[in-house]
Amino acid sequence: MAEDTAYDGPILEIDKLSISFFTRLREIPAVMDFSANVMPGEALGLVGESGCGKSTVALGVMQDLGVNGKIVGGTIKFKGRDLSEMSPEELRDIRGSQIAMIYQEPMASLNPAMKIGKQLAEVPVIHEGISEEEAMKRARQVVEDVKLPDPDRILKAYPHQLSGGQQQRIVIAMALMSKPSLLILDEPTTALDVTVEAAIVELVKDLGKKYGTSMLFISHNLGLVLETCDRICVMYSGEAVERGSIEDVFDEMKHPYTQALFRSIPLPGADKNASPLIAIPGNFPLPHERPNGCNFGPRCDYFEAGRCDAGPISMAQVEGNDRHATRCLRFQEIDWSAPPTLADKKEKGVIGDTVLKVDNLKKYYEVAANSMFGGADKKVVKANETISFEARESETLAIVGESGCGKSTLAKVLMGLETATEGQVMLDNLSIESTEIQDRDTRTVSSIQMVFQNPFDTLNPSMTVGRQIIRALEIFKIGNTEAERRVRMLELLDLVKLPREFADRMPRQLSGGQKQRVGIARAFAGGARIVVADEPVSALDVSVQAAVTDLLMEIQRNEKTTLLFISHDLSIVRYLSDRVMVMYLGHVVELGSTDQVFSPPYHPYTEALLSAVPIADTSVEKKHIVLEGDIPSAMNPPSGCPFQTRCRWKSEVPGNLCETEVPPQRKMAAGHEIKCHLADDILAQMDPVIKIAAE
Amino acid sequence: MDPITWTGSLGPFLNPLMLAAIAVFVLGFFAQLVLNFAGVQPGEVQINPDHTLSVARSPNDYALMAMKYAVLLFLACVAVFIVGGIVQPSLEQKGIIGAMGQRFLPVWIAMILIFALSVTFKRRLGLYGKLFDSPIGMVGFFLVMFWMLTAIFAGLVATHGAIDVVSQMRNEVPGSFMPDPDEGEYLVYLLGGDNLGRDVFSRMVFGAREVLKIAPAATLFAFMVGITLGLPAGYFGGKLDTVLTFIANLVLAFPVILLFYLLVTPEIVASGIPTYMAAVLFLFPIIFFVILFNSRFFTQPFTRNIYIFLTVLIGGWLYLGLAWNSDPLGIISMPGNILIVFVSVVFVNSPTVFRIVRGIVLDIKTRDYVAAGQTRGEGPWYIMLWEILPNARGPLIVDFCLRIGYTTILLGTLGFFGLGVSPESPDWGSTINEGRRLLTIYPHPALPPAIALMTMVLGLNLLADGLREESLRD
Ligand SMILES: Nc1ncnc2c1ncn2[C@@H]1O[C@H](COP(=O)(O)OP(=O)(O)O)[C@@H](O)[C@H]1O
Ligand code: SF4
Ligand code: SF4
Ligand SMILES: [Mg+2]
Repeated sequence: MAEDTAYDGPILEIDKLSISFFTRLREIPAVMDFSANVMPGEALGLVGESGCGKSTVALGVMQDLGVNGKIVGGTIKFKGRDLSEMSPEELRDIRGSQIAMIYQEPMASLNPAMKIGKQLAEVPVIHEGISEEEAMKRARQVVEDVKLPDPDRILKAYPHQLSGGQQQRIVIAMALMSKPSLLILDEPTTALDVTVEAAIVELVKDLGKKYGTSMLFISHNLGLVLETCDRICVMYSGEAVERGSIEDVFDEMKHPYTQALFRSIPLPGADKNASPLIAIPGNFPLPHERPNGCNFGPRCDYFEAGRCDAGPISMAQVEGNDRHATRCLRFQEIDWSAPPTLADKKEKGVIGDTVLKVDNLKKYYEVAANSMFGGADKKVVKANETISFEARESETLAIVGESGCGKSTLAKVLMGLETATEGQVMLDNLSIESTEIQDRDTRTVSSIQMVFQNPFDTLNPSMTVGRQIIRALEIFKIGNTEAERRVRMLELLDLVKLPREFADRMPRQLSGGQKQRVGIARAFAGGARIVVADEPVSALDVSVQAAVTDLLMEIQRNEKTTLLFISHDLSIVRYLSDRVMVMYLGHVVELGSTDQVFSPPYHPYTEALLSAVPIADTSVEKKHIVLEGDIPSAMNPPSGCPFQTRCRWKSEVPGNLCETEVPPQRKMAAGHEIKCHLADDILAQMDPVIKIAAE
Repeated sequence: MDPITWTGSLGPFLNPLMLAAIAVFVLGFFAQLVLNFAGVQPGEVQINPDHTLSVARSPNDYALMAMKYAVLLFLACVAVFIVGGIVQPSLEQKGIIGAMGQRFLPVWIAMILIFALSVTFKRRLGLYGKLFDSPIGMVGFFLVMFWMLTAIFAGLVATHGAIDVVSQMRNEVPGSFMPDPDEGEYLVYLLGGDNLGRDVFSRMVFGAREVLKIAPAATLFAFMVGITLGLPAGYFGGKLDTVLTFIANLVLAFPVILLFYLLVTPEIVASGIPTYMAAVLFLFPIIFFVILFNSRFFTQPFTRNIYIFLTVLIGGWLYLGLAWNSDPLGIISMPGNILIVFVSVVFVNSPTVFRIVRGIVLDIKTRDYVAAGQTRGEGPWYIMLWEILPNARGPLIVDFCLRIGYTTILLGTLGFFGLGVSPESPDWGSTINEGRRLLTIYPHPALPPAIALMTMVLGLNLLADGLREESLRD
């Protein structure tokens, strides 16, 4: 290995790489003319929408493209040696010991039937031939390095006994066992909660520094890349369109796609009425339907016919910046500082009367220890604890919190899929908390509707889009004949801006964003007054997110709908909601207007949540608060304050009040409530988490 | 007169060819085996700079190619025999293979039509159309269709009646001439005669009809029962699920053959138990369709009433005829012994279907479109039958194919034990059983039904494989 350590050129050199997949019908070029370098200790971020070829690049580096994937051009050099010229044995050795890959789904990399310790020790035993005992020692060391509590217990556990965040840490530990020089992370935190994500990102950064590992970090989240990487490469439809250092690309972008991407994500300070998000028009081209010339041409604001669609475009250096290149013919002519041409400014809807009032709502589930012969010892899961709030006409109330905090349960109670254990839910003046959905009248049911999270299963795959909307109309007793309902269905498609031909399509012929629009049309079929949107855009690509969010806002303005927006993405919450409710372990810990919640004083949990959100803006300074440990189980909640196991302010409260007493709901200002024991003067000392640096 | 030969006048030319094909196949097989052991890799697909593909062939590929062409040559020879059988005038010239090929003429015509239509329109035919992308699926479909069409055209294909006895033809070898044929009667027993002097070929052909009359229908009934119970068990869960699953396991734990023996015991038949079981089991399809239409159309009472009225009318009529043998019009009836077979097949198959359906429901009920149905206030049966069931069709169709195969074997087994169908019946199981006794001296009466049963079950399995493979692909 002596020659390896002596090597000081780039760790990874990708030069004009092209990768295609071959199917029965055609060749699908997934990556074209892709070049990138990763220097020792450097982290390169690879961003782009799903399907643009990010993962294919990673698999190409791993030389693991499956049976129908082939590198059709270019080279990949690892430490100066061309990977395609290596023998299978050499490759296997490099893959195991020098390049490690971490996937989105931790369980995909773990063997469910093997104890963690054994899985970790296996790596060096195979690749370096060290003794089992020594390997076990090293395993314990890396488990400590990835900051897992109680390493000895973890080593003896099976993967399913760990939480998602812990599993991902183990996968990282496994990758580190062989001390790789290159770590490839493919959306490593997409499946995790923000606070867990923040902790993992922190960990990856530290480890990169500690071991000097180079990283290829793949993500669709610009904010995350800003936080983790030194350099960035933006991909669009199989090509790298812009690459350079983080500062250059974020602040002096030189490609229209990068610009459009930044304009479609909400940044702190953006307001939904004054500066609405600008969605990228049109759709991502399918690999075999790419236009001539610039791939981004059909969606580009600066498109110039006869020039942009003339022929292949190559990367051009941006003078004056370090290794900054862009694939745009007109980058020198475009005025990059020109403000976006705004769509007409929207009038903010007038917030009306209270339509929904929730008072002291409790929802407990009884879980029998043994379901067959239930009875003996039952456990109570407190999914919702004393929740009180109001929602008004035309208002957007955001409900934020990590998974398992009781957001979905609350939605279920509102919808009537579950009945409340205690407390009241009033729709107008009708109390509905204990009326199951079958017993509600059609008007009540159609008044509260839901938009679901996962676009891939929000629609029934075996029924046409039109049929599904018509069914909702039938159930809501709208229209007297089939023909009337069909007309109304077409109007609903217009409402969500889908072409009318879509009525006869099957869901699988629609893209994720289009399916989500159908889901919205279906929710509004009966003239819903309250729409519960459960993470409606979190599974969509950023450019599509903006369009779907705007659609929701627009319908809300016209129909005066009350929107309960469930989300964990605080940037979008800040952008579109009027009021925010923060939940933790079934409790509402903070409730107030968006400004009140996003500025101090905070509830300690809100503070941590805010600091965990990655923000794609180099001028933003953020306080780093990493939450230790995992969210406790609702089956076995901590005594006293639900947040006391992870709270960094706990020591400021005299005595052991936090551990013994559930804090009261305190009024901080008009409409702002916090559930915490902290004294007023300490709360007043809190600094803002997010600061926009003065220019 | 000497019996006619297998290959007739074309034999002298084609037999050496077919032998050669077999030899090449065997050689290729061993060559490939040896090459693989020697570490010779199959050739790699290479990409040329102009983005075209080419294959660098290795000896391994040549061995595989040789095997492939040998199979094609063999099939081509068979095809020539069949065509020869159709065009040549005399039985001696046709040979046994040719003559059989000619008898199957209606089957060939229908088959060519079906394949031509299906392949032409395969892009518009959904999952069924995709079957024609998979060679395995096509072979399976061919085998299954072959026996289906044979069953349909049995009257045209068969040379004699299923129970016509000509005592001189007892145990005669394939191709034997009839002693003194009547005017217009077929001159030979193509596959010989059995120990009572009946024509083996015709019994095999009529056997297909016998088997295909019962197996798919019984399987369909088993599916109705399994689905009607599996949906609520999976969807509602809880006590209902626990009880139904327990019962299903109980039935599954019961030895099938013992159950059949019990069901055909005269005392039990006399006590009416099979009829009562039929009465219960046959009620499920009616319940199934009534719920199906009601949940879908309850918002349009008029349409709903029409559907339900028709279901109850037609279903009730079939029900009275099949289960109680008391069709007021006297058209529908089912002989007692077939009823027993039917009941037993449904009884032993539905628990497995139940478990499959329950499992799929447990998975699909967590999908958002199910939640969307719930939040707009749909009833549970609409969600089960219209939101969940259509999306479970993939695995269910595959299982349906496999299960027809099991049922066919089960019917064969029953026939083999002399249970169920009447002793005269030409169904394959019974025929194999009869032939068994003289198997060592006269193998020809037992082999054709055995091969028929084998190819049919093989076809169903391949078909299921093809469907499964293609349904996963998109
Ligand atoms: N049907 C149920 N039975 C038992 N516990 C449940 C049930 N549904 C939800 N829970 C529990 O309630 C808590 C809140 O869950 P949920 O509302 O789904 O959270 P979120 O929407 O924030 O992900 C979790 O601990 C979850 O395990
Ligand atoms: S080359 Fe033309 S179409 Fe492409 S990004 Fe630049 S300006 Fe837009
Ligand atoms: S009550 Fe105590 S533990 Fe809970 S959030 Fe406030 S300071 Fe932290
Ligand atoms: Mg949830």
